[in-house]
Amino acid sequence: MSFMKSLDIGASALSAERTHLNTISMNLANVNTTRTPEGGPYKRKTVLFKAVPVETPFAKAMQTELERELRGVKAKAVLNDNRPFKQVYDPGHPDANQEGYVSLPDINVVEEMANMLTAMRTYEANVSAITTTKSMYNKALEIGR
Amino acid sequence: MKSLFGTHIHLTGRVLDMRLKRQNVVSSNLANVKTPGYKARRVEFEERLQAALDLDSKGRVTRTDKMHLPAKFDPNTFGPDFFKSIEPRVYQGEDAVDLDKEMAIMAKNTLMYNALTQVMQKNFEGLKTAITEGGR
Repeated sequence: MSFMKSLDIGASALSAERTHLNTISMNLANVNTTRTPEGGPYKRKTVLFKAVPVETPFAKAMQTELERELRGVKAKAVLNDNRPFKQVYDPGHPDANQEGYVSLPDINVVEEMANMLTAMRTYEANVSAITTTKSMYNKALEIGR
Repeated sequence: MKSLFGTHIHLTGRVLDMRLKRQNVVSSNLANVKTPGYKARRVEFEERLQAALDLDSKGRVTRTDKMHLPAKFDPNTFGPDFFKSIEPRVYQGEDAVDLDKEMAIMAKNTLMYNALTQVMQKNFEGLKTAITEGGR
């Protein structure tokens, strides 16, 4: 029986959302970054989510159809967003080119904020899923009392 | 089988199982709210349960002869049906999971689960009373 599975699934979502939130704050922190270890200005990052099975392949083979279909989620990769850099005229900047333009990452703060809200709401939804599951288990424990 | 525990206790236990399964599936949907191309899953068992209890809308089959097989509920004869939405719709990287709907299903499910545990608890309390107070 799938006893703690619901909690595992919730936990996988929480950790994926946390990665998402980390990525968003990384983007916000690097709005003006012109130098990175890879060279060039900072590139905006996005997270790729993937639905993954909660069980190991063997445990999966032993399950019913329904339980085989359960999916957790995983932040599969943090990818570079390949939008072109913003050109800002600032001749005094050390990384300005011949014409006095600096390449800055094209990060829209409003967009990042909106993403942050979605990440937060998803996180909350999953927290409440975990809480309700917990309350169900507690109720089940009360049966024999 | 006539025993200390009536079929209704088995029935309640079985339905609790189904509700736990539904909770798992809802968690799975909620976890994948942002996964592109993920299809929401559903667990349905109410109709199958009604049929197993011989109480569905078509009305129960009457036994007109004692040779007819009795339609008695056996909690092991039914299980949940499992649905996947057929077509994943992908707009702007978003997916086919409706957050509000999932939350509503979850709330309903939890309420019913908690209510059923109460039912079960009262059943056992009743049994206990019969055992301890019956001899007095």
